[in-house]
Amino acid sequence: MPDDDGDLDGSTEPSSIQRSPRRWKLIASALLLFHLSAVALPPLAFQTFSLDGPSPLVGTLIRPFAGYGQFFHMDRGYAFFAPDPGPSHLIQAASTNADGTLSERMYPDRNDQWPRLLYHRHFMLAEFLNDSYWPPGPPDEMFQSDRPAAELWQQRRGRYEYIRQSMVDHLKHVNEHREVAIRRIEHGLPGLQEFTEEPIALDDPRLYNVLLDQPIFSDEIAPAPVETEVIPAPEVSDEADNAEPGS
Amino acid sequence: MSGASTPASSSGESFSEALSRWAEAWDRFWFTPTRPHTLCVIRILTGAMLLYCHLVLASDLLAFVGPDAWMSNDMARQLHDGAFGVSDWARSYLWYLESPTAIWLHHGFTIAVTAMYMIGLGTRVTIPLALFLQLMYLHRLTGALFGLDQIVTYTTLYLALTPCGSRFSIDAWIRPRLIEKCETSAFWRFMLPDDSPSVAANVGTRLLQLHLCVIYLFGGLSKARGETWWNGTAVWYAVSNYEYQSLDMTWMARYPAIISALSNATLFWEVFYCALIWPRVTRPFVLAVAFGVHASIAAFLGMITFGTMMIIANGIFLSPRLFQSKEQRQLDDEAAALIEHDDADVDVDAAEAEAAEQEQAERELNEQLQNPDLSASERARLREKRDKIRAAAARVKRRYRALKKREEKYEARVKKLREREAKIKTIVQKRRDRKNKGDGDSTIE
Repeated sequence: MPDDDGDLDGSTEPSSIQRSPRRWKLIASALLLFHLSAVALPPLAFQTFSLDGPSPLVGTLIRPFAGYGQFFHMDRGYAFFAPDPGPSHLIQAASTNADGTLSERMYPDRNDQWPRLLYHRHFMLAEFLNDSYWPPGPPDEMFQSDRPAAELWQQRRGRYEYIRQSMVDHLKHVNEHREVAIRRIEHGLPGLQEFTEEPIALDDPRLYNVLLDQPIFSDEIAPAPVETEVIPAPEVSDEADNAEPGS
Repeated sequence: MSGASTPASSSGESFSEALSRWAEAWDRFWFTPTRPHTLCVIRILTGAMLLYCHLVLASDLLAFVGPDAWMSNDMARQLHDGAFGVSDWARSYLWYLESPTAIWLHHGFTIAVTAMYMIGLGTRVTIPLALFLQLMYLHRLTGALFGLDQIVTYTTLYLALTPCGSRFSIDAWIRPRLIEKCETSAFWRFMLPDDSPSVAANVGTRLLQLHLCVIYLFGGLSKARGETWWNGTAVWYAVSNYEYQSLDMTWMARYPAIISALSNATLFWEVFYCALIWPRVTRPFVLAVAFGVHASIAAFLGMITFGTMMIIANGIFLSPRLFQSKEQRQLDDEAAALIEHDDADVDVDAAEAEAAEQEQAERELNEQLQNPDLSASERARLREKRDKIRAAAARVKRRYRALKKREEKYEARVKKLREREAKIKTIVQKRRDRKNKGDGDSTIE
């Protein structure tokens, strides 16, 4: 072990004071090794995962520990703000009011969700929807050329649609069962160089982009938007509208 | 020559010796009993954080748990049961809780258990129970979770293994009142542990320490795969993220060198945390940076809960002595001195035996030298050998005298301690007598 002192600043009793029986130590050591494997292998698997799937070695190694790690919520990658801090993703919801008009809300919203932890939970939901996104498809030809890949595509798309529908259903429930539509918004980040040259408010409307739900076929130039996307562009606060460069 | 005795290194250490040294290090690392004081402090802080999480969830409970939540019960279940190809063990009975009354009752129970965990009431039951309830919520709240949920759960997991209710807790208050039960029953000793050094406290401490090392190592490695942590703009992209921001730090754009330094420093600190946290000389610096990084995340990046919890978790590297009373620290020091004294006894005996062996060897050589049949060269060789033995014997004698001196010193100390112990026993006895007398009087009345 890389402990250069072997104890916690003298906090521990000398080793001769108390010795557990050897057999118990062996059992405890085996359990500790099992647990430590379950701690260290999931982030390793996360790092070695690629489009082709997990690394064959790590994928095999992790198998005996996977269930245990999943139950204790240890199947994480610990990739905080990594590999690079990127843009945020939001959910914009358009709800039909009782009088038939539309009202829009953005999730997360600091003015609506308080305290900050509650806001952050909504933020994570919006990020989760975006992470789950998979474009419509697959193209029919794919079933002939690569059926497993086509089925995986269908599965991922299905997962996204179910997640989106669950969120829509929740918002409908909150909106007394009137119509609700949602779409994903990406809030980009100004580059350091650009910001230095031309400061911009962080909630400037130019930094928001609607993420369209469209197929990714290369030969389709202008795919038809899906029904959930036909809501107005995000409303920008007055402050942002009036923001002077550099403010 | 057997494989086991083949020298494994240039130092001449055999493989079996090296293995045995590793086994000893493993044994010392995991099975050296430790005082639980640091864990007891972490218990209060982690319990408070978990309680806060549950209270915040209660402010909008049905939006996160139940059939009409953001992730409906069915959706949450399908994310884990293989409906979309991935089946895992992250199961939760909360997927099946439909009634708002049942959900609220369950949440009220969870809050009560977590509050008990925080104040240290029935910790041997409430902490494992709080952990189980937390896991059920985690598997139900898929999609709404982040780093805070991870670190609060891991810390609770390791605290559940330890006697962390033995100090600063209601359990510690109850224990003296049930001392007779604790002395006679293993069950009560387990339920109301004392704060003596224990292997369980050490195992819990080590597990959390190593888990933190894994978190930072992979946090650092995943950053190392990016570009901005190297070119020094990552911190800018973190502070210019409007959704994270809690304080406007865009003024930093005027100081790109600072942004760059912070980005690079974060990357290197995370990658090397797992190595530099162990040596005593680097530990304070690593912990100071941890405090700085997480305090910044708490203050500027809107994650006050996550930042605070990471600082609390890093507290696991603090010595329990920091949280012990002065008297207890003194007693620990004296106990350590006594043990050292026992070890010194062994050393004195060994030195005495060694000196006797050398004297015997010298006598034998002298007898051999008296043999008139010896050739000149043999006589010279034996003399040389005798001189060497004499020199070694002189060294051993010097060591023996030093050890003897130390032994006398320790004996004086032990005598003093015994006197002190007798004094304390007399005081305790007097108090008991007074108490018994008082009880007797009140019974008569």
